[in-house]
Amino acid sequence: MPGAGLRTYYFKAMLSVIPGPDRLAELFRYRELLYNLVARDLKVRYKNSVIGVFWSLLNPLAMSAIFTFVFTVLMPSGLPRYALYVLIGLLAWNWTVGAVVGGAQSVVAHGHLVRKVYFPAEVLPISTVISNLVNFLFALIPLFLLMFTLGQVPGPQLILLPVAIVTQLLFLSGLALAASALNVPFRDTAAVLDVLMLGWFFLTPVFYRVEDLAGDWSRLMYIVNPLASIIANYRILLYYNTWPDPLFMVRTFVQALAVLAAGYLVFGLLRDRLPEEV
Amino acid sequence: MDAVVCDRVSKRFILRPDRPRSFQEALIGLFRPRPKDGARRVEFWALRDVSFAVRAGTTFGIVGENGSGKSTLLRVIARILKPTSGAVRVAGRVTALLELGAGFHPELTGRENIYLYGSILGLKRREVNARLDEIIGFAELGEFIDTPVKHYSSGMLVRLGFAVAVHLDPDILITDEVLAVGDEAFQHRCLEKVHEFARAGKTIIMVSHDLNLVRQLCDEALWLDRGQVRALGDPVSVTRAYLDWANAKAFRRADAPAPNRRWGSFDVEVTRVEFLDGEGNPTWFFATGDPLTIRLHYRAHRRIERPVFGVGLHLGESVHITGPNTRFAGLDIPYIEGDGIIEYRVRELNLTRGVYLVSVAVSDHSLTHLYDYHDRLYRLEVRSRPGFEAFGPVYLPAEWRHLNGVAGPIRPRPGYTPAPPPSPGRQPE
Ligand SMILES: Nc1ncnc2c1ncn2[C@@H]1O[C@H](COP(=O)(O)OP(=O)(O)OP(=O)(O)O)[C@@H](O)[C@H]1O
Ligand SMILES: [Mg+2]
Repeated sequence: MPGAGLRTYYFKAMLSVIPGPDRLAELFRYRELLYNLVARDLKVRYKNSVIGVFWSLLNPLAMSAIFTFVFTVLMPSGLPRYALYVLIGLLAWNWTVGAVVGGAQSVVAHGHLVRKVYFPAEVLPISTVISNLVNFLFALIPLFLLMFTLGQVPGPQLILLPVAIVTQLLFLSGLALAASALNVPFRDTAAVLDVLMLGWFFLTPVFYRVEDLAGDWSRLMYIVNPLASIIANYRILLYYNTWPDPLFMVRTFVQALAVLAAGYLVFGLLRDRLPEEV
Repeated sequence: MDAVVCDRVSKRFILRPDRPRSFQEALIGLFRPRPKDGARRVEFWALRDVSFAVRAGTTFGIVGENGSGKSTLLRVIARILKPTSGAVRVAGRVTALLELGAGFHPELTGRENIYLYGSILGLKRREVNARLDEIIGFAELGEFIDTPVKHYSSGMLVRLGFAVAVHLDPDILITDEVLAVGDEAFQHRCLEKVHEFARAGKTIIMVSHDLNLVRQLCDEALWLDRGQVRALGDPVSVTRAYLDWANAKAFRRADAPAPNRRWGSFDVEVTRVEFLDGEGNPTWFFATGDPLTIRLHYRAHRRIERPVFGVGLHLGESVHITGPNTRFAGLDIPYIEGDGIIEYRVRELNLTRGVYLVSVAVSDHSLTHLYDYHDRLYRLEVRSRPGFEAFGPVYLPAEWRHLNGVAGPIRPRPGYTPAPPPSPGRQPE
């Protein structure tokens, strides 16, 4: 039966790209490099420290002010404490943009290294995701300041915040891995991403409520757009100040894991070609 | 015990793939299948069935002309590239010096870059710490170590790159023409480091265009020609075979010169040009101070009275270093007819390290009518030799003397104030 032979072949090919324990062990051995790459990114970004930190904090605040003006004065949405509501969405979104767009460039930008030195190249997109995570964490400071200004004191649910953050970390790592590898054989990945990201921004409940969507769209939103669930997690913990539905959190986490696995698979399929094509 | 074994290793590069190279192409391809020949892919075999073994603790040299696949082979051994077919087995930790300082970030200081580069090569912070002083000492960067590397000179970058990579304590060191970097003193220390490695029982695989270095350092050598093994074994015979082949090729090339590089009436033709070393063997590699003989084979198609033979040495296309001829030297050749040989012997080649171009000419006695002129058709490579080093292309045989405590005859004029000393070199920012 020739079909079976081919199927075994594809099956074996699939298996060979799934990162085996040795691959993960190697990645772990290179954690020092991961740390150094993140440290380098941050050092370079915040070199003139005061100015660097200032702008990275001002950007989401300014965006939030604009959205608040639009949706409370120009076309009132009726949401209380809208500034806080939209800022939470914006911070999660900014991390996403930084990680995906930056991650897509990471392997190509380090082409000289990938070509000349042996090391697991997946540390490059992952380090981009992590250095954007650090920015996200910095930006939580003005978020909490805004919360206190609006008279909202975070409750004990805050202990679940790390779970929500790790969920997004896994999700973004998957996207960044796939984008970084695809950018090598498909050199217009960045241009495609520009369009995709713009569309994704409007299709994600950053400045509107999922619950306000027409018809069955809100249910569909949580299924096809993991970022909607991730932002919902943050809002439950930081805006609504309640305990989340554990099932929802777990489902979001599993979704993120699936994206990570898929992203790693794409990366694994292209890995061997990176040093010769980058 | 073998440290590295290559078993019928082949590597194919795809120069032009038959698949879309961008999302745009993929999208267009959906609606309009691409024309057949546009989709044909172009491949290139950079390595073909390369097999050899390197015994642990030995030094192995790889030679071959540009594009023969040497760097590709090193990248396959270092696991950076996966062979298309065949297998590579490596026993031990490999450090590949393919490009020095490839991982440096311009905004970070030398010290920060040492940690970054160390971790790229798979080292822990603790391991880098243990070697930090040694690395900084070897690179001779002084207080520049805490300056961003964007302010480094290229020599400083190269020194730092070599220092980091070489102090990582690999079992197998792979170097791609990096032993010929930096100034003379640093090159010397690099070689010393390599010797030290060899003495410590480590395995070294090196690519070099310096055949003398390969003979000096290697226990075994491999000659790669267009991706295939042409010779393998004793470095002296391998490099000799390569050199003979390269010389023959160079002269073949000179036989069919570019149209505007050779002219004259061709009543007399220079049919062949050879460079001979002290023992009379043809070569094109010399060291400063070596004897050199340029031998011209000529053929006179008719009887020529009082011809003048000349040679010219050039640095690049613009600097004419010297242009002697038989007439200036007082050698009067009454006439020539048929075939013959003219030799120009230099007792000591007083040129410093570099590549020199050689012209040869035959003219009439007045030097106005040219029979045959080969304008910079030949290449000569000179490498340095300790004690014969100088800035610039020329070394003058001379001695230095220092007469300690002797009052010189030159005294400052009364009322003369010496100029302030020049400001010291660049300050670290
Ligand atoms: N990533 C790549 N994609 C396509 N072709 C490549 C790639 N890398 C190398 N080649 C080709 O493979 C051949 C061998 O290259 P390689 O760099 O190994 O030569 P080399 O012997 O090191 O030459 P040199 O002495 O100039 O350093 C060259 O023709 C080069 O163009
Ligand atoms: Mg090379």
